[in-house]
Amino acid sequence: MLFIVTVSYSQELKGVVLDENNIPLPGANIVCTNSNHNAVTDFDGNFSIKVEKGEKIKISYIGYRTLELTPTFPSMTIVMEMESNTLNEVVLIGYGKQKKADLTGAINTVDGKDISRTPSSNVTAALQGKVAGVMVTNSGAPGVGADIKLRGVGTFIGDTKPLFVVDGMYYNNIDFLDPSDIKTLNILKDASSTAIFGVKGAGGVIIIETKTGSYNKKAEFSYQGYTGVQNPQNVLKMANSEQFVTMAYESGSQADIDAVLSAMQRYGRSRVNPNIPDVNTDWYKEILQQSIITNHNVGFSGGSETVNYLVSANYFKQDGLLSVVKNEYERMNLHAKVEAKLSDRFKVGGNFIFSNATQYFAENGVWNQIYFAVPILPIYDETNEAATPIRYANAKDIGYRGTQNPFPTLKFIDNKYKKRSLLTSVFAEYQILPEKLTFKTMYNGAYRPEDQRKVNLPYTMGLTSENISSLYVANSTGFDQTWDNTLTYNNSFGNHNVVLLAGTSYRDEAGNWFNGSGSNLVNPFDSDGWYLGNTELETRTSSSGANRFYAISYFGRLQYNYKDKYLMNVTMRAEGNSKYTKNPWGYFPGVGLGWVLSEEGFMSNSSFFDFLKLRASWGRNGNDKVPASAGANQIYPVSLPIDDTQFSGTYVESTYTDFEWEIFEETNAGITARFLDNKLSLDLDYFVRDTKNAIIPVYQPIVSTYLYQNAGVLRNSGLEATLSWNNSINENLRYNFGLNLASLSNEVVDIYNQDYIDSGSAEFRQRSMEGEAINAFFGYEVAGVYQNLSEVSADPVATTNNLEPGDFRYVDQNNDGLINDDDRVVLGSYLPSFTFGANFGMDYRNWDFSLSLFGQTGNKILNRKRGEVIWTNDQNMDADLAINRWHGEGTSDSYPSSKGLRKGWNQKMSDFFVEDGSYFRIQNIQLGYNIKNLNIFKTSTEARVYLTAERPFTYFKYNGFSAEVFNGVDSQQYPVPAVYTFGLNVKI
Amino acid sequence: MKNTKFIIIVGLILMFFATACDSKLDERDGIFEASSTDYSKTENMVLPMLGSYERIYSRGWEDFPLLSLRGDDVNAGGLGDQQDYTETDLFNYNKDYWMYNSVWQNMHRDMIDINANINEILKFKEYATGDEIALADQYVAESKVLRAWLQFQLSRTWGKLFIIQTNSPADDIANGLKTKEEIMQYISDLMDEAIPDLADMRPNERTDIRGGVTKYTALALKAMANLELKDYQKVADATGQIINSNKFELFDDYYELFKKPGKLSDESLFEFQYSDYGTSAGNSFNYLNAFFGPQGWTPAISGAADGWGFYEPSMKYIKFMLTRGEVVRLQTSVMFTNRGIDELNNDPLFATLPAWVTNTTPDGDVINDYARAKFASGKNYLPSNQLTNGRTDYGSGKNMHVIRYAEVLLMYAEALKQGATGNAITADAAVNLVRQRAGLNNITGVTLQNVMDEKYAELAMEWGVRYFDMVRLNMYNELSYDGRTFTESKVFLPYPQAQVDALPLE
Repeated sequence: MLFIVTVSYSQELKGVVLDENNIPLPGANIVCTNSNHNAVTDFDGNFSIKVEKGEKIKISYIGYRTLELTPTFPSMTIVMEMESNTLNEVVLIGYGKQKKADLTGAINTVDGKDISRTPSSNVTAALQGKVAGVMVTNSGAPGVGADIKLRGVGTFIGDTKPLFVVDGMYYNNIDFLDPSDIKTLNILKDASSTAIFGVKGAGGVIIIETKTGSYNKKAEFSYQGYTGVQNPQNVLKMANSEQFVTMAYESGSQADIDAVLSAMQRYGRSRVNPNIPDVNTDWYKEILQQSIITNHNVGFSGGSETVNYLVSANYFKQDGLLSVVKNEYERMNLHAKVEAKLSDRFKVGGNFIFSNATQYFAENGVWNQIYFAVPILPIYDETNEAATPIRYANAKDIGYRGTQNPFPTLKFIDNKYKKRSLLTSVFAEYQILPEKLTFKTMYNGAYRPEDQRKVNLPYTMGLTSENISSLYVANSTGFDQTWDNTLTYNNSFGNHNVVLLAGTSYRDEAGNWFNGSGSNLVNPFDSDGWYLGNTELETRTSSSGANRFYAISYFGRLQYNYKDKYLMNVTMRAEGNSKYTKNPWGYFPGVGLGWVLSEEGFMSNSSFFDFLKLRASWGRNGNDKVPASAGANQIYPVSLPIDDTQFSGTYVESTYTDFEWEIFEETNAGITARFLDNKLSLDLDYFVRDTKNAIIPVYQPIVSTYLYQNAGVLRNSGLEATLSWNNSINENLRYNFGLNLASLSNEVVDIYNQDYIDSGSAEFRQRSMEGEAINAFFGYEVAGVYQNLSEVSADPVATTNNLEPGDFRYVDQNNDGLINDDDRVVLGSYLPSFTFGANFGMDYRNWDFSLSLFGQTGNKILNRKRGEVIWTNDQNMDADLAINRWHGEGTSDSYPSSKGLRKGWNQKMSDFFVEDGSYFRIQNIQLGYNIKNLNIFKTSTEARVYLTAERPFTYFKYNGFSAEVFNGVDSQQYPVPAVYTFGLNVKI
Repeated sequence: MKNTKFIIIVGLILMFFATACDSKLDERDGIFEASSTDYSKTENMVLPMLGSYERIYSRGWEDFPLLSLRGDDVNAGGLGDQQDYTETDLFNYNKDYWMYNSVWQNMHRDMIDINANINEILKFKEYATGDEIALADQYVAESKVLRAWLQFQLSRTWGKLFIIQTNSPADDIANGLKTKEEIMQYISDLMDEAIPDLADMRPNERTDIRGGVTKYTALALKAMANLELKDYQKVADATGQIINSNKFELFDDYYELFKKPGKLSDESLFEFQYSDYGTSAGNSFNYLNAFFGPQGWTPAISGAADGWGFYEPSMKYIKFMLTRGEVVRLQTSVMFTNRGIDELNNDPLFATLPAWVTNTTPDGDVINDYARAKFASGKNYLPSNQLTNGRTDYGSGKNMHVIRYAEVLLMYAEALKQGATGNAITADAAVNLVRQRAGLNNITGVTLQNVMDEKYAELAMEWGVRYFDMVRLNMYNELSYDGRTFTESKVFLPYPQAQVDALPLE
């Protein structure tokens, strides 16, 4: 083809203007810098403009950063970047979208870019500290997502996890989703916003939109990837052999002293200190390892005038922190999304994700074993000839009750999961009245099979410790389908702007499972034979089951605004759900009102506010993550004599309740404001969320059992503030700063005239009482430690209980001169009363830098590991406890003596075991370098290289491995590592 | 053209919206209700009915003593453990005493379980055809009688209570407390409702559940409830109907009536059945009779176990019987120890006792002296020679009478003496039937006092009949015996503390 250089001074430039998500921007202004030729983009973002030689073009669009570019002829694609803080940003709400300026509820948005800073298998981990009111508890186990709670805990027995809506489909768990596939994530916090999700909305809703292709865009290849190491951090220091032996001697327990002597006999005496055995095993050091985390996502996307597409593939792998055992997670994902315009008014599309993951779990119990194993036990003991196939040391050989050594538990268990997901959706959308009335129908199907295979390999440790091989296999399949139909009407009548939505949703949730087990594998060490057929026939058991629920919903919404000044959003959802037999139908209304004060005449002279909106909302939704019923509705056989002959009869266990879903009602009031040329933004929200009919155990007076009923009231309330500051100092230097703060108060309001509801175990009591937080830790307060005999003899409590110096002195709460159950008080809640997150970001020329911080306070952690001395008083303890024990007058007023530790008196549930759970963390640091116009493949290539430090530093006072503990009870928590990665993104 | 297109589109949309249908809301795979039962197998309908009998037969050992302890026929049996049991006998009530709560719970729970079983029977009924439909109705009616009996005992003991009509206590509690009068009226009405559906035969004539409830059981219970209501005409009508049926007859041998030969006799209108099935080992189903037994004995058949010594016939009763010259009924009701005989002798009136008064029972079991009591209850005694070979538990295989024809006759007589019109025999005839069996002479011109004395003699140690008679007739002076003082405030036991804490009982 012959190319003729035009000699004319002006040239025709064609182009398309897109937003960051490759959505065409209609109505964007294009102006030539010298000639002032101008143009406006059409509905598809296309424009055409005459450009004089040498001049640049300036593209502006409200809410987006204005660009000044050198034209590239004959056509160019212009991607505009959204200005932060913009109120024109569109937010996903249920079954629709809304401008941020028009919102009346509490909705936060997290951009895909911010999510991708966190190296993790699961997007949930990335939310920590990013949004006020979202509480995230991570787990370090490979492939395990974080626990998320939005605005506290509103249920006693149900699940509090939010609902995830991924491209229109509902999920309780999104471990199949590659975080780098996410475009945006919207968190709907208040009930007026989530009411449209009906019974699924109680825990809050997180709407996720995955990345998508764009029309009129040439194919683009992209790669995003990182590789790094995970490093166990804040590893708990355990007592070493010297400290342990000191404790053993001070305990006064002959059995413990004898064990030390046996250890010296068996393993020799230390040459440094001949009074301790020549063994000093640091079990954490032996077992914990650094491990690899890696993620690669490659894909291509683009589109013609009528079709757009995106295809990507993702590989993720994460190794665990435990050596010896297989604990790892590997996932391969494929994602394809296509959309086509059949006409100007008719659009169809499909979205497919296939995810294939393999996950190996270590026994949770091993975390306890590592903690408790005595340091005077070696890993291997060549003299333990009875141990097969590996001569692991056995603590029974030196007189302990258990084998203690955690290695066999790691080595001889193989627990594998295969988790596959095939998620499909198709939709069709037709504009019945162009731009005004749209009908959309969408089908989603999520097919999720999961296989488990757990093998216990045979081993012996000697001294009657023999473990036979066993196999457990379980297969389950979930198949959830939804079919949504919506009609959306969008119009303006003068100053009245109206969006009306009406829709139906049909949901079918089905699942079935099969499991089987057997013992004595034929050839247990050969993994090729790990099937039930190779187990001993007599030992085989199997079971299967299924469940299926249907739900039908009708919903509608009115979005109304008058002159952008007065806002109203009203939603209603009626949902029928077959899970609940008592009353399948529920009605979930929501209403929100907003008043944009800054649009009022009296405010227009105020230069202080660029935008000011007051908003208030109320809504109701349901929690269907509670069982359908409680109590056994079961038939029991009985026999009785009739005329001296034995007859059989039956009776029905009659303590039975059909539940209804729990109803949550929430009132939210807030302010949205922009100051200082939109550089500073503030969102303030106050909420009160009540669970109206929480399912609680109710004492049944007549039959004296506990029966769960919809009879409790719980309240979560709090204040949330989000502040952000964005500024550009010059073209090359931009920075932003953000802060989010949240307070939370959780209160049990009504438990049906009962004094309390107990939870936790009897030894580690948690109790819910009216006016207190749910499942609050409950026990004695330690006033100090008896320091000497005269203190003991002066206190009748001490003399009646035969106490000694080194024992706890408890607070006599009711001053009756006795220490008994009545002196127990609430020792605190596991829910933090205050959390904060902060982030700082800066772009300078090609460099970008970000830092985020997170902290929480006001929560307590039950150090159950310390507490378990009640059952295992001959095992190891943390070094802090060993060093700071009471061992003579004045040595400690908070820790008991070694002897005292083993006494029931000091093992009562007390604030000695309930510790401050506050922590502060540097959540993430990232430094990136951007390379533009890199012409590798004769085409413009962009690249970014970056270094990430995730959770490099955490500070806490708690005497455990990690202050991040699920529901505040630290027993077998998989600690969360620090992660350091190198990353590369390339776009061609 | 444009319009056609529009219509098609709207039509399509409506089609989509309409496809979502509600019928699926009734489907729920995987929730296993009690109804994994195949209710179309209507022959299994008897199973929940038998289950209800099992509920009512399997009484807690504390139930009978607490309900029947307070009359002047029986004492707690010395001090020792169960101090508050003794205090209850002395009308000093302790609402924290475990036995109160336990009996309350046992009996309430049984009512709830029976109601749950009624629901099961009704599920079978849906599939029933022909005679099975009537049988289902009969079983439901029987269940109502069983439940009413429990409600009756509870209300006599505690007064105001909740009526348990469902298997969901919350609903019954919501209906509020009912006075004893309301409860008795409820029971009377419930019996009227049940009677048409019940079998018109003696319990021992039943072939499906021999000894089960029949129309006459319901009539007797109706009479008992109306006795409490002082509606004597209804008492006379109900008992007269039983008498006129000519189906019932007093068992000849009063002593053996309470032993194995008296099981399911023609005298029985309701009886708790127990058995060791005649086998020396294996399953057995018994009330814990050891509670009643003497604490030490020399049984005729060695190896037979003794009892706990808790249930002691009162000295007042024994003297009353001796004065009347009773032999059969006294010998049946009371087992003497030498210590007890000595103490009787200390009273000049009883310095000489009939020769048959010894510490040896007619079956040759020798009752030794024991600390807790001087006498033991003979009606709760099974001679060691009647024990199944190999069984040693005290009273193993012995039934417990609940409603006997003798009580029906005496209720009838009382009602007539209270002014009701009889439709059957005369009051004299009714009393004399009872006396004849006891080996006593006929009397004429029976008075109310005669009837009550006869009841005392005949029904001592049986379900507190005596106590509740005295309470109902305001004969508190009879209950104020041996140092006790009975007042109106002592009529009902206090609500158990655990129930006060949990229920709207005020």
